[in-house]
Amino acid sequence: MHELSLAQSLLDQLVTLAREHQAEHVTRISVTIGPFSGIVRDSFEFGFNILKDAQPLTKDAVLVVETPDPVYTCLDCNKVSVIPFVQPGEATEMNLGGGYPKKCPWCCQNRLSPKGGTELILNQVEME
Amino acid sequence: MCDTCGCQLHEHHQHDTKVVEVNKSLLEANQKQAHSNRHHIEKMGALAINMISSPGSGKTTLLERTIEALKDTVKIGVIEGDIETERDADRIRAKGIPAVQLTTGGACHLDAPMVHGGLHVLEHFAKGEGFDLIFIENVGNLVCPSTFDLGEHRRVILLSVPEGSDKPAKYPSTFRGADLVLITKMDLLPHFDFSVEEAEIETHTLKPDVPIIELSSTTGDGFEQWIDYLKEMLKK
Repeated sequence: MHELSLAQSLLDQLVTLAREHQAEHVTRISVTIGPFSGIVRDSFEFGFNILKDAQPLTKDAVLVVETPDPVYTCLDCNKVSVIPFVQPGEATEMNLGGGYPKKCPWCCQNRLSPKGGTELILNQVEME
Repeated sequence: MCDTCGCQLHEHHQHDTKVVEVNKSLLEANQKQAHSNRHHIEKMGALAINMISSPGSGKTTLLERTIEALKDTVKIGVIEGDIETERDADRIRAKGIPAVQLTTGGACHLDAPMVHGGLHVLEHFAKGEGFDLIFIENVGNLVCPSTFDLGEHRRVILLSVPEGSDKPAKYPSTFRGADLVLITKMDLLPHFDFSVEEAEIETHTLKPDVPIIELSSTTGDGFEQWIDYLKEMLKK
């Protein structure tokens, strides 16, 4: 949705951090994008890699994105489970079978409520 | 592992690399501003509602009718978000209520800094009397507004009958953030393939305890429940 502006705000933050620590180059950044954050990883990386070239401080920065798997609470049995998203093009029972809804692995009901996962966090910055 | 020489240990030599643990949300700037907006709104004596929906689901019409029902007893102010035009604000002003139009010039959502500006203009209209209730009508969009806290006290999501009852399942992040869901344009139900039950099940899967009110701004059916919700909220 607005990955480009979020990538820009990350770069602004990196410039501030580099100044604070008197670093000349940012070399590596790790970011966590939650599965329900609404932020598309590919677009975020694409935006970051275009914008980072704008200044020498960030042009060699390598962006490492962590994407935790989505966690759901079953509204029928209350158990919590981790059910990875089906990636585009991935052939699984789920999307070959006409995309029927995912089920709770404990009780087989389909009332799975998303739990957390809305975060977008800058974890760590390496600079020199 | 050390990227420069490939060693497994960090102690035996030094590069000038610094590792800084940040662990902060990239949305922190917006969150801070939202927090201060909330404080500002409370200082004005008001509570704020952020209204989110698709374009054309009836946010402004709902507001017009809500104003008619409440304006004698509740001091209302409105912040309107749109990409372009003052049309929505003009409709609200025609009801005798102060309205500020925020035109984003292309942005698909309001964010907290924009609302901050709007609040200052609205405060000017209040002439020191303050407000009881401020409606922030977001840009019509079921995707992006969900990420941005504006400093509201309640988030109300509208889903209109012509849009289809599959919308909660298709736009989960918006419906997960709802404090209240309004199913609008209920008078059109006989003409559309809309299942109230499906909309309710999908919404409650995403957020089990969220209240849902069905109403029509045209006929007024269900409106009482919505007005009661607002009055109850203002009492607290």
